[in-house]
Amino acid sequence: MAMDKETRRALMVKGLERYRKERDFFKFLSDTLALMPDEEMQLSKEVTDITVDRYDTIIRCAEEDKPFVAGYFNAAPEVYTAMDLPWYLIMQTPFLAASAPYLMEDVDAAEAMGLGTDWCTACRLSLYYIEAGLSPPPTCMIGLLHPCDAATMLHQAVVRNEKWRGIPMFCTDPPYFEDQRGIDYFANELKKMVAFIEENTGRKLDLDRLREVVKESNKQYELWAEYAQLRRAVPCPQGWGMGGPQCFAVSQIFQVGQPRGTDWFRRLVSITEKKVKEGRGVIPKEKIRYFWFDLLPFGWCFELMPWLEQEWGAVMVMEMFGFTPYTPVDTRNEDTIFKGLAKRNLYESPMVRQARGIADYFASDIARVVKDYKVDCVIWPGHMGHKDGSASTGIMREICNELKVPYLHIGLDLFDRRYTTPEECKDKLSKFFGAMGLG
Amino acid sequence: MATKIKSRALQEFQEATQCLVNPALQKWKDQGGRVIGCYCSYVPVEVITAAGFVPFRMRGTGSTGTDLADTCVSSINCSFVRHSLDLGLRGEYSFLDGVLWVNSCDHVRRIYDHWKRKIDTSYLRLLALPKKNEQAQIDWYRDEIRFLRESMGPHFGVWISDDRLWDAIKLHNQTRRLQRQLYELKKRKNPPITGAETLAVMVAGTAMPPEYYNGLLKELVDELSQSKDGHADHRARIMLIGGILDDPAYIEVIESQGALVVTDSLCFGTRNMWGEVDEKAGDPFTALAQYYLYDRPQCARIFGDQPRRSAFIKEMIRQFDVDGVIAERLVMCDNWTGEQFMTGEDLKEAGIPYIRLDRDYVNIGAGQLRTRVQAFLEMMGR
Ligand code: SF4
Ligand code: SF4
Repeated sequence: MAMDKETRRALMVKGLERYRKERDFFKFLSDTLALMPDEEMQLSKEVTDITVDRYDTIIRCAEEDKPFVAGYFNAAPEVYTAMDLPWYLIMQTPFLAASAPYLMEDVDAAEAMGLGTDWCTACRLSLYYIEAGLSPPPTCMIGLLHPCDAATMLHQAVVRNEKWRGIPMFCTDPPYFEDQRGIDYFANELKKMVAFIEENTGRKLDLDRLREVVKESNKQYELWAEYAQLRRAVPCPQGWGMGGPQCFAVSQIFQVGQPRGTDWFRRLVSITEKKVKEGRGVIPKEKIRYFWFDLLPFGWCFELMPWLEQEWGAVMVMEMFGFTPYTPVDTRNEDTIFKGLAKRNLYESPMVRQARGIADYFASDIARVVKDYKVDCVIWPGHMGHKDGSASTGIMREICNELKVPYLHIGLDLFDRRYTTPEECKDKLSKFFGAMGLG
Repeated sequence: MATKIKSRALQEFQEATQCLVNPALQKWKDQGGRVIGCYCSYVPVEVITAAGFVPFRMRGTGSTGTDLADTCVSSINCSFVRHSLDLGLRGEYSFLDGVLWVNSCDHVRRIYDHWKRKIDTSYLRLLALPKKNEQAQIDWYRDEIRFLRESMGPHFGVWISDDRLWDAIKLHNQTRRLQRQLYELKKRKNPPITGAETLAVMVAGTAMPPEYYNGLLKELVDELSQSKDGHADHRARIMLIGGILDDPAYIEVIESQGALVVTDSLCFGTRNMWGEVDEKAGDPFTALAQYYLYDRPQCARIFGDQPRRSAFIKEMIRQFDVDGVIAERLVMCDNWTGEQFMTGEDLKEAGIPYIRLDRDYVNIGAGQLRTRVQAFLEMMGR
């Protein structure tokens, strides 16, 4: 049964309250970055500016009763751009505003609500935001059944929620192995997703417009690939503060197939190229080149990552979001476009690429990165939500042994610093570097 | 709750839950029979039976530690996974001629990766199980089952014809029918069999040659049907729901407090036998995919199916006259965390008493379990 107008209005008022706070948080970040003339800071500022614009667009749609979607990156977000449909991620708060002052209170409130504490904190928080009415109700939703169990359960719980029950949701089903059969199947799932969005928003997908968008996103991925190559340089031109997460956010969420995003990539490549030519690294003396094989600890990266650079001269040359070997989508016809998008979103998109299928996929990535990026050690942070990754720790260790590169498994919560505190992480890292004779 | 029945069949079932290789299975092996391990109840066992082999549902029975598995997986992985992998690494599963998986959860799917690398079993295969159950997914799974036949045949040098598959379907349907007859008896005011005993019957059914099992089960059902004895000394009729639970001792503790488990939604319970594979369908692969992925009650991991799962629970509550629901899950299991939360909300709306329990695969935690169950019964006014 569709959600009635009155319920929708009440939910919207409350949902937008938190949403505006988040927007203001990014606005504050943008204003702070504006005071820093450094080129890279300005590049970061462009990302926060785009984020603020996006928040504003959703708020406007909500106020003017125009359609907007709650969607996901690894389900062909090119479609939203082509349909001119604003969208947001219900999981965005833990990922984007993780350093927001209220995050810890939210984590506690989620626990009080009875959401199991061994369940990924990002999922727990996202469900809490909906149960507590802190997310603006979209016109319709695209959920996520990969890469992890937690995401599957989150989206089931969202459609079950008493108030959100009236919001239609569609999820694409992810095949497990990488092969042509999987691509064909997933392409069909994407087509069904388009039909679902059309039916629920009244918008139509124009194939020519989609082609244009995909051509533009191809350019973004080409530039991303070029950038990823530049990071192989010794010393590494950028560390944890710039790279994969931003490239991912721009190409898959904020500026999918849009020229402003492509320009951002061009600036990134040009700034980085200059640094590489000049032999400038992110820190004056690079001593350890590490591969961080997970997402960043969004909730508390400022407490750990700079310390690694300052204390140990340790530079994050690559991380999970950054290593995504994208193939250009063939834009000849509808069939090639959808199959290309299927491949990109299933087998190449970060997180899904590493966590969705068999271990061989991420195992080959680790081997590639270690060789290509002259990595001194591999760190598997082991986010408490990443059960598949933690269930693979032995395989990761063995690959590293074969490559003769030290391996460390920490075990932490990317969003909640209390799980393994930054101090405990630093201690583990120091002991590891010391024992391995690094730094 | 003391057992009321003296049954040879029941005793054999109970013994089969205490070990991996029960005497019937050992006899099968001694005669040169092959056995294929199955990780998760979504593996279509009919294909294995049609090949002339015995399907064996993977367990961690008898495991006392996880030292070897802990070099592969981590402490945030579920204890079933750690114990069963540990047994595999110790060679306790060397009686298997092959192992089949589905990508049932983030923990189990990684056992496949470790097994492939570390354990010498000649035939391993993972079937890609969809996470939704609309027509396209049923078609996908139909093809997965067909590919399984095509891969098993040449590997083992057997041909699994459609006719043999239909025969296997009929055989396993017979098992399901007998198991449902057993559950029918539990609808009685004073059920003749406890929840712990029932679980033993169900677990044994995943570890014995099916014809042999069916014969024994028929004997038990006949005995119980004729018996006038029943359990009258219970304080409440309980439904138990959750994921992998293969240890009757866990239910024994619950029942020791007077909470008689009369029905369940477990993958060693009703979810494995409610309904039957359609013997009149056009082809056996479609029939199997339809049953496994849609017709029978589904597991937590199937998106879009939660309202049906919830409706199934409510229907069981009605049919078995259930007073309260206990949901158990293994710590670290994401699928059942989500499911427990949703079921809890649904049952709250329906006004049905409900409690969530966390457990470890090997260590039952009897003391704490007793306290929680007692408190639950008191809360229900029993
Ligand atoms: S477990 Fe990882 S992939 Fe899954 S929702 Fe949490 S952060 Fe995302
Ligand atoms: S209990 Fe949960 S985590 Fe463990 S095997 Fe079952 S579904 Fe997977």
